[in-house]
This record gives sequence, structure tokens and C-alpha cells, in this order.
Amino acid sequence: MSGPLPLEDVKKALERFGPVEQVRFNRIKVKTVPENVREALFHAQALLACDRLIQISALDNGQSFELIYHLTGPHRMVIAIAIELPRDRPEMHTTSDILPPAGIYERQIYDLFGIVFTGHPNLKRIILSEDWPRDEFPMRKDWKPKPRTPRGGARQEAP
Amino acid sequence: MVETILPIGPQHPALKEPVNFKVIVDGETIVGLELDVSYTHRGIEKAAEQRDFIRVVPLLERVCGICSHAHAQAFCTGIEEVMQLEVPPRAQYIRTIVAELERMHSHILWLGVAAHEVGFNTLFMWTWRDRETTQDILEEMTGNRMNYGINEVGGVRRDLTAGQISSILSRLPKLEEQIGKYVGMVKGEETMLLRFRGIGKLSKAEALKYGTVGPTARASGVDYDIRRDDPYIAYSEIPWKVVTDTNGDVYGRTLVRIRELQESLGIIRYCLEHLPEGPIGVQAPKVAPKAEIFSRYEAPRGELVHFMRTNGTDRVERLDIRTPTLANWTSVTVSLVNQHIADIPVIVAAIDPCLSCTSRITILNEQGREKARMTLEQLSEYGRKYSRERGRC
Repeated sequence: MSGPLPLEDVKKALERFGPVEQVRFNRIKVKTVPENVREALFHAQALLACDRLIQISALDNGQSFELIYHLTGPHRMVIAIAIELPRDRPEMHTTSDILPPAGIYERQIYDLFGIVFTGHPNLKRIILSEDWPRDEFPMRKDWKPKPRTPRGGARQEAP
Repeated sequence: MVETILPIGPQHPALKEPVNFKVIVDGETIVGLELDVSYTHRGIEKAAEQRDFIRVVPLLERVCGICSHAHAQAFCTGIEEVMQLEVPPRAQYIRTIVAELERMHSHILWLGVAAHEVGFNTLFMWTWRDRETTQDILEEMTGNRMNYGINEVGGVRRDLTAGQISSILSRLPKLEEQIGKYVGMVKGEETMLLRFRGIGKLSKAEALKYGTVGPTARASGVDYDIRRDDPYIAYSEIPWKVVTDTNGDVYGRTLVRIRELQESLGIIRYCLEHLPEGPIGVQAPKVAPKAEIFSRYEAPRGELVHFMRTNGTDRVERLDIRTPTLANWTSVTVSLVNQHIADIPVIVAAIDPCLSCTSRITILNEQGREKARMTLEQLSEYGRKYSRERGRC
């Protein structure tokens, strides 16, 4: 465990990708565009020793989808790299080749939000049951629960 | 040789909750793994968006039966930070006691299951008997053995009386003695050593690369522990140590969990002896201001994350939960490669997944035609027999 990461160091490494903001004493957030994510992750790994991906948070804010990559390292700070994706074309290049844990998180986001990660080696359904409709994504804000449509499990045969 | 797909599950024998593995094997050796965790998706994240902060806490306790306090606490910590609530120290200490009791009962349960997986049922019975002590204490403190319902935004719902404190303290020495016996058994019993040593090995570099969390990571020498790295509730005020090990195999994971039991017991004792006076909660406002919070918690299985966004109303706009088991799957996939089929139960059980009992496996040939079927109890039995025949047990 090393000391905390000063904001200046993070700014030096990641400011070229977008505004850097310290949201809490151990949380730093960088806003960038989807094209820069891979390069920003490389920089965070090489310059800031961020060797660990904690989570890829996904959100639907009504106008667009947001992805936030939360990274940490020996300094134990959380560096968040945030992007927005257009709702009409939710596509993003995979990061599972840079950070292996991203693979399973991306599959989860693909399943629940319908965001397609191009280049993912195994982008298959993981969370929802196999009979879930292909064009319905339950974590999107415009999806409403349908309590009377059972999914998954054994069906009762008609007598 | 021809590679064969071996489906295991969806009802897994080791622990609770269903998962389906498709294990790709070449003879006795595993070459790959594909998994499907869809069987218990209950839409809790979506449901959390429809409930206010009072009603969402009981819902989140039901994400997991074993780590119910973990989920409620991770959420409460986050929302309290958004609302800028100053939670009284007495409430924080009671939360810490419940959190550590939960860790203890989870680790003891795991130790029993792991012993059972290798056919050492004496230890299985011992651990589950001793686990009743922690369950009794939890029931006396909160009213429930599971899904404690003690947490709420702003504090805890039940106080500890002086009688309860001395009653809990009087039961700790016996538990401590038993944990000491487990250490001796794990380090000395041939049955366990032969089945645990060198199995499911994960180096430090691999553990870091694959994002392993919790005791699994700490057994490979990765000293990430959120209780120290990003302290919440009362951990920054309590003397305790992060437990690590360098073995990196199932043996190492067992040692880490047992030594964590000892640390947890120390934390509980300290909290009970130094319990501050005062109120056990503050009135929380109904609404939370617009904010984004990344709340981390060291659950018994590893780092648990609740990412939430509030929007000025009485409910969250989005709650994104990343559970430790999901983070650990990537490393299981890696640590199973080049191991034997017989070691699947113990390697899978070694990350302490939230998964489940009584199932069958279907052995398929390469065309996918059903050839034979065995229950997972039979697979465990097969594992024991295999090890006996190879002189490993």
C-alpha cells in the first residue's frame, strides 16, 4: 500500500482526455469521450499504477447511456473514467483485452442495457434467462416491468 | 485427445444458489470453462429504483442471505454520505459488531463446506455446531438469524443492553478456543493438506490481473482490504490487521479465512468492551440531494460495491451492485485450467461463491449426446475416490 495519489499527478496523466475532478478525498473522476477510453486506461495503468478494475457502472439518464470505469491500485484511490454513449447507437469497443475482469462486467451490461461491446471474445447472455426477448433491456429507463409474463423456469402444461 | 463438454449445475452442490458451468475437459484435465448465472436473477436493481430509502434497505438485505448486512450497510453508508448525516458512534460500533459476526458465520460455514467437499465430515459437523454460537448472538442482538433488519439510513434499529454485552462476551472464549482447534486441524490433518495444497493455484500477478477480491486475493498475497483501504463504519478506530498469505492455493485461502476469524473475534470483543454511550441513530431526511456515490464494503467474500446516483427525490435513480462473487469468476476460470475434474468442487468452493446444493451433472460426448448422468454428490464422492486411488488422500 503506497500513499494517496495527488490530484496533480492524475491531472498530468489524464487531463488530455477531459476534465479531471476530485469528488472526494479518495475519488477522482475524469470525463472523456468513448474513443479515448482505451488510451486513458493504458495511461492510468502505466502512469498511475491502476492495476485493478473494480466495476464498470452503467446508467441510463434518459438521453444517453453512461459508462463509468472505476479503477484502483496500490495507492487505493478510485479513479473513475466516465463516458456517454448515444441511445440510438449504443456501441463501445471492448476493454477486456486490457483489463480481463472487464469481460464479465461487459457481458452483464450487454445483457441488461443492450450496449454492444465490439471485439469482445464471448459477448453472450449471462444474467437474464434464455427465453428473455432479444430486444428488451430491463435496466433501460423506458422499460417497464411486466409482472404477468413469466420468464425462465418450467412452464405448466395446459391440462 | 477429444475435448468433452461437462455441464455442471444449475443446482450446484457446494453452496447455495444455482449456476451452470460448462466445463470443457480433455480426459481428466480441464481446459476451459463457460458459465451461466441467470437462474436467480430477481431484478433487484430495477426494484430498488421504485422504492424509497426506507423500503429499499430491507429489499437489499435480501440480495444475499449470507451477506445481508453487507448490502444494507454498503447502501446506508452511501446514502448517509449523500445526505451528510453524522451517524452516532454507538450505532457505528453496533453495525461493526453485526458485520464481523456475519463475517465469522460466513467463514465458519465455508470451512465446514470445504471440509465436507474433501470428505472430512468431522470438521464439517464441528464448524456448523460452533457457527450456532454466532447465530445465537445475532438472533439475540437483532431478532433474526439471517436478514437481520438492524440497519436503517441514519443508524441502527436496536440497542444493546449491558446484560446482552456481558452475555456475548462470556461466549467468545469458547468460540476462540474452537477456532484455535481449526487452525491446528487445517495445518496438521493429512486429509485436508493432501486435498488443499497446490490445488487451484493463483499467483499474485494473476490475482491482480484477473481482479480477484477478498480472501481469495489475500491468499495470493494481494493485500486489498476495504476495511483498511477505504474505512467505513468504525474500522478506522479499531485495532486489527489485514490477513494475507503467500500460498495462493486452496490451503492458503483456508488459512486466510481462519485467521480472519481470529481478527473478527478481536474486533467484536474490542467493540463490545469499548461501546460508546449515546443515541443509536439520527433522523434521516426523506429525500437525498443530487449526487453520485461509489460505496465500497469488505463483504465476507471480498469487495462489494454499490454505485448509486440520487436525483433529489426519495429514491435512487440507479443502483449498480457489483458483488464479490462476480469479480471472482474470472479467476476461477483461470485457476481451474489444467486441474482435474475431481478438484472442481473444492476449487469452486474455495472462492466461497454464493451458489448451491443437490444437483446432477450430465456427461456429454463431443456430439452433445447424453451418455451418463451423475449427481454432484456422486461427483464429490468420485473426487474423494480419485484422490484415494492416486494416494493423495
